[in-house]
Amino acid sequence: MKEAELHARLAASGLTGIGALDTSARDPFVTVEAGALVAALTFLRDDPECRMEMLHNVTAVERADAMEVVYHVCSLARHHTLTVKVRLPRPAGGTHDTWIPEVPSVAGVWAAADWHEREQWDLLGVRFTGHPDLRRILLPAEWIGHPLRKDYVYPGEHGGIPLELDAVPLYERAPGSPPPPARPARAAGTPLEQPPAPFSTRPLAAGGKTCEPGQGGGERGGAH
Amino acid sequence: MEALELYTADVQDDVWTEELKLNLGPQHPSTHGVLRVELKMDGEIITAARSDIGYLHRCAEKIGENVSYLQFTPYTDRMDYLAACNNELAWSLAVEKLLGVEAPERAQWLRVIACELNRIASHLIAFGTYGIDMGANTPFFYAFREREAIMALLERPAGSRMLYNYVRPGGVAHDIDERWLPDVLAFCDEFERRWAEYNQILSTNKIFIARTANVGVLPREMALAWGCTGPVLRGSGVRWDLRRDVPYLWPYGEVEFDVPVGEGTHGTLGDCWDRYWVRMREMIESVRIIRQACARVPSGDFMDKAMARAYKTPVKPPKGEAYMRCENPRGELGFYLVSEGGASPIRCRARGPSFCNLSVLEALLPGCMIADGVAIIGSLDIVLGEVDR
Repeated sequence: MKEAELHARLAASGLTGIGALDTSARDPFVTVEAGALVAALTFLRDDPECRMEMLHNVTAVERADAMEVVYHVCSLARHHTLTVKVRLPRPAGGTHDTWIPEVPSVAGVWAAADWHEREQWDLLGVRFTGHPDLRRILLPAEWIGHPLRKDYVYPGEHGGIPLELDAVPLYERAPGSPPPPARPARAAGTPLEQPPAPFSTRPLAAGGKTCEPGQGGGERGGAH
Repeated sequence: MEALELYTADVQDDVWTEELKLNLGPQHPSTHGVLRVELKMDGEIITAARSDIGYLHRCAEKIGENVSYLQFTPYTDRMDYLAACNNELAWSLAVEKLLGVEAPERAQWLRVIACELNRIASHLIAFGTYGIDMGANTPFFYAFREREAIMALLERPAGSRMLYNYVRPGGVAHDIDERWLPDVLAFCDEFERRWAEYNQILSTNKIFIARTANVGVLPREMALAWGCTGPVLRGSGVRWDLRRDVPYLWPYGEVEFDVPVGEGTHGTLGDCWDRYWVRMREMIESVRIIRQACARVPSGDFMDKAMARAYKTPVKPPKGEAYMRCENPRGELGFYLVSEGGASPIRCRARGPSFCNLSVLEALLPGCMIADGVAIIGSLDIVLGEVDR
């Protein structure tokens, strides 16, 4: 079936909150309300005409006015695909730090959603309510922020290692692209160059000499 | 459950056992990269498993949002680094879909040959390393001998041996020399002969079959629900191949080839041996495709003329979005691009097949022996560069 027929079938299912089919983009998509998402995707999976056996991809797109969560579902038996979107409008003044959009999890519909949703939470900060285990998946558990947000600022350091991003540009920007967001000043306590670590004063062995620099006898003293 | 009873029946009441937590990886030869699996063990039986990924995360999607469409092609090579041509193809087709351009006919056929050669090379690694996982070291050297020949072949038009940057939006980067197609055909003849040797040395080996048959059974419904694609899905008996069912590159619709699926030859349908055997047979199908494609490469341009000019100026696709999926050696790679008219996409999402295939591991491992766990990880044939991106 084409996307239009799939959409007609979905709209005729009696579910509320099914929007119109948008054909302006290269791939037509259906926008549904967040409240109707799980019911709509369950319908697409179980309906004998649609038979969307596989959730191919879950992703999110941050726009200026909203966060769009995008589901690509496909049917192997029927050879068709459909793109379903949920728009989560950005509240006034909603930024990376203050705005966590929420959408119901579909991990109960397809098990594949589990990891996909965890990745979108990790990188874009979309909370999938009802997800069985919404942990970070790619970044370390202690990471702060969601790097794929447009207003994400690069950290000055991670785990005590300063990240010198300003000295060497990571890449040449494409001509005409908007300038990157300004990076924050280096956080206090993370100097550019760490002072050299002091030499070890641990005794070498029982009765052995310690390794004090400049006093001879150490590994670097050169006396032995 | 049978295994559990079998191996706990002999434990005497006075033997004190406790649950053991075991880290498999991140640096372990059998995890094929930096994958860490936390296992809870009851003796040698795995009772729970949790995968920990992300050690190779390089923010590929963030980079994609910050470089131009054409600059990102070599980054896709670094995702599934064993199948660079196939990644480039998926990216190129996604960009072409967004731009509304099509590569010339010669480029289409050259793409098919390059991608199928790369598929053979990638499956050779799967074959060789799987033998090592099972304790058979010799097949690895056989596999690398043929892979070396493929890399030498692809080096001639592409200029590099592993991360080719050969398939680009609009066509391919360079034309082939006049001796290339005969050499590819000569390789095909030689490869078929050697493929029979692989089966003598590994596929029909009694120990290998004992280690892989009836192990890690992935039922059809489970494979679909977890989003498994590629040989992992076909090993469970689902005859689904994008090359045949949705010919994203029209030459695939004009060549004859079979889509091998698992048949439960030595045990239950969907076990490790079935997945292994699907890959082995796919190599021969790729040879068939290459033979037919070599006969049909027309003369003409290898790069779209408008796109060749576009390489000197930033490409700005119109507002819109495109989702493109391609059949990679490991499954379906999808690129989702959202353009708002700028020189780089505002969202560049890569749906990696290894990522989805790996997610089923946590469900497959509980209840099996730890040695079988190694067999299961190997049979999924993941590349961590693509899992973590």
